[in-house]
Amino acid sequence: MTFQLGSSGTFLPVERVYLTMAGVIYEDASCVYPGAERPAVDKLNLDIQDGEFLVLVGPSGCGKSTSLRMLAGLEEVTSGEIRIGERDVTNLPPKDRDIAMVFQNYALYPHMTVADNMGFALKIAGTPKAEIRAKVEEAAKLLELTEYLGRKPKALSGGQRQRVAMGRAIVREPKVFLMDEPLSNLDAKLRVQTRTQIASLQRRLGITTVYVTHDQVEAMTMGDRVAVLKDGLLQQCDTPRAMYEKPANVFVAGFIGSPAMNLIEAPIADGGVDFDGAIVPIDRETLARAEGSTVTVGVRPESFDLQTDGSQGGIKVQVNVVEELGADAFAYGTAKANGKDVDVIVRVDARNTPAKGEDLYVVPKAGETHVFASGSGARIS
Amino acid sequence: MTAATVTGSPTAADAAASAPGRRRRRLRPARAFLHAFLIATCVVWIAPVLYALYTSLRPYADTAKDGYVSVGGHYNLGNYTNAWNEADLPLYFKNSAIITIPALLITLWLASMVAFVVARHSFKFNLLMLMIFTAGNLLPQQAIITPLYKLYITIPLPSWLSDSGHLDDSFFGLILIHVAFQTGFCVFVLSNFMRTVPNEITEAARVDGASEWRQYRQVVLPLCRPALAALATLEFTWIYNDFFWATVLMQTGSNRPITAALNNLTGQFFTDNNLIAAASMIVAIPTLVVFFALQKQFVSGLTLGANKG
Repeated sequence: MTFQLGSSGTFLPVERVYLTMAGVIYEDASCVYPGAERPAVDKLNLDIQDGEFLVLVGPSGCGKSTSLRMLAGLEEVTSGEIRIGERDVTNLPPKDRDIAMVFQNYALYPHMTVADNMGFALKIAGTPKAEIRAKVEEAAKLLELTEYLGRKPKALSGGQRQRVAMGRAIVREPKVFLMDEPLSNLDAKLRVQTRTQIASLQRRLGITTVYVTHDQVEAMTMGDRVAVLKDGLLQQCDTPRAMYEKPANVFVAGFIGSPAMNLIEAPIADGGVDFDGAIVPIDRETLARAEGSTVTVGVRPESFDLQTDGSQGGIKVQVNVVEELGADAFAYGTAKANGKDVDVIVRVDARNTPAKGEDLYVVPKAGETHVFASGSGARIS
Repeated sequence: MTAATVTGSPTAADAAASAPGRRRRRLRPARAFLHAFLIATCVVWIAPVLYALYTSLRPYADTAKDGYVSVGGHYNLGNYTNAWNEADLPLYFKNSAIITIPALLITLWLASMVAFVVARHSFKFNLLMLMIFTAGNLLPQQAIITPLYKLYITIPLPSWLSDSGHLDDSFFGLILIHVAFQTGFCVFVLSNFMRTVPNEITEAARVDGASEWRQYRQVVLPLCRPALAALATLEFTWIYNDFFWATVLMQTGSNRPITAALNNLTGQFFTDNNLIAAASMIVAIPTLVVFFALQKQFVSGLTLGANKG
């Protein structure tokens, strides 16, 4: 690693020097826990490029951590294959995979100083002491930990411990970084700050990174690509933008984006779908692919146009709660579809918010409607 | 704690107690009873020790004249110097050390290795092994002494290890019996303690490339220091205080540990209780030293800082 002095005082630019870098390939990789009925990870196929930042995201129990631990060698790959670079690592122990991992709870060695924590892997590898010290000091400088090198983890704050865990990974100069929800123990503000730091650090080091989180905002902001998992199955893997604009199914549509996309099941009518009298137009080819008499229509909260009154055929939404975030405001309300009450979230002008109990009339913006098959949940638009 | 639970919400009680100027907490019957019980237990516990200490400071002549329950006469350390010289205590201290220290170290070493495997890996025989260890611990020693003794006198040892040429009547035999009997309990305690060390820590070590041995030696064992210190104190006391094995399995009087040597001060027709009291006091000192030396290791929360905390 070489450093160029930067004036900003934060992370210094680092030259890209890891010449033997590598991508990661999961090929039909499955993991079945003993005694479990269905696999924790079911035939996962992922092709992670050299130097890419891939985020695995999904609700708890979706198999994202297991996928990562399979790559780390901490979980057995029951079938399929995992390759790092050209090398098949499926059955190799963790130490032979040339990976470094950052754990959710950091997993620092409590009885060792920060320097010893960071240098432990190198010490095991038999690296000369002077070289270990040089590498640890470099990494400490990069992470602003220099003055804490002599301390034990218990004398550090949560954020500092997190950086030590990062440092422990960086010092190894591995082929792949594995991060298992490394920010989930930080407070909200520090999390946002560290998020950016990790992303920029990864870009500077250029090391292939697989990052696990349950937080879709983290996934969207950090990843070059995002892979969404549910019940051990890969739902979609794409860039954050593509994922947001073209979710592959109802689950991804509802999971990515905050507040969540409105997903409403409505009966098909002539030229569109029927929201209790208000017809939302949808083209014929899309509706032809529907499996039954209804489809699930997805509209993001910001994809609604507000109308002044009910005479223009908009969907009527009765406002229950208004959430003001400063720049934006979201109205949470109830509309009628298919004879049932459904919850609808609409982004409204932050300076002109509706009152509680007020009726809004909304229409989805043209071209911003997502249509999914009611049964399978697959995208048909 | 019991009192607080009995008398109502502990937080409310604590708040009342800590707030200055507030009315003192009313003495509730349950609390009074608890304290009376604790004081009584304390007195019952410590009275014999204090009585022995008092007796050890008086010459035999005084107690013979006035009885043991009396005040007055001479008070000095004469019994202590007599005991030290007459009973050859330095020799027996050395014997005790030869038995206790290796037995203690080997017990903790073996037990920690077994505990590491049992706590960190799930083999099918784990539970069975723990059960056997614990069950072995519950066997009364007196019940198995006869077969053990028969075994001991038949198992030959090289002469550099045993003067008698057998396991019986050798330091090695005594060390072995202590290790065998104490390992089970230590495994039980240590494996439970090791289970509290987060799995992530050993996983991190595995990713860092640490072998099983290194995980045990450099990661888990240092974290078990509080448990090891507590066990070391307990085990030291137990092995050092042993009288039973030492008298049965060691026939050569000059090789017996100090607990058995106290017996040497008893005459056939006459026993100087003051002298024995003084010797007992001396014998109790190492246990106290070990306790106070290891006491500061009993810190809880050594793993503090490994995780988010």
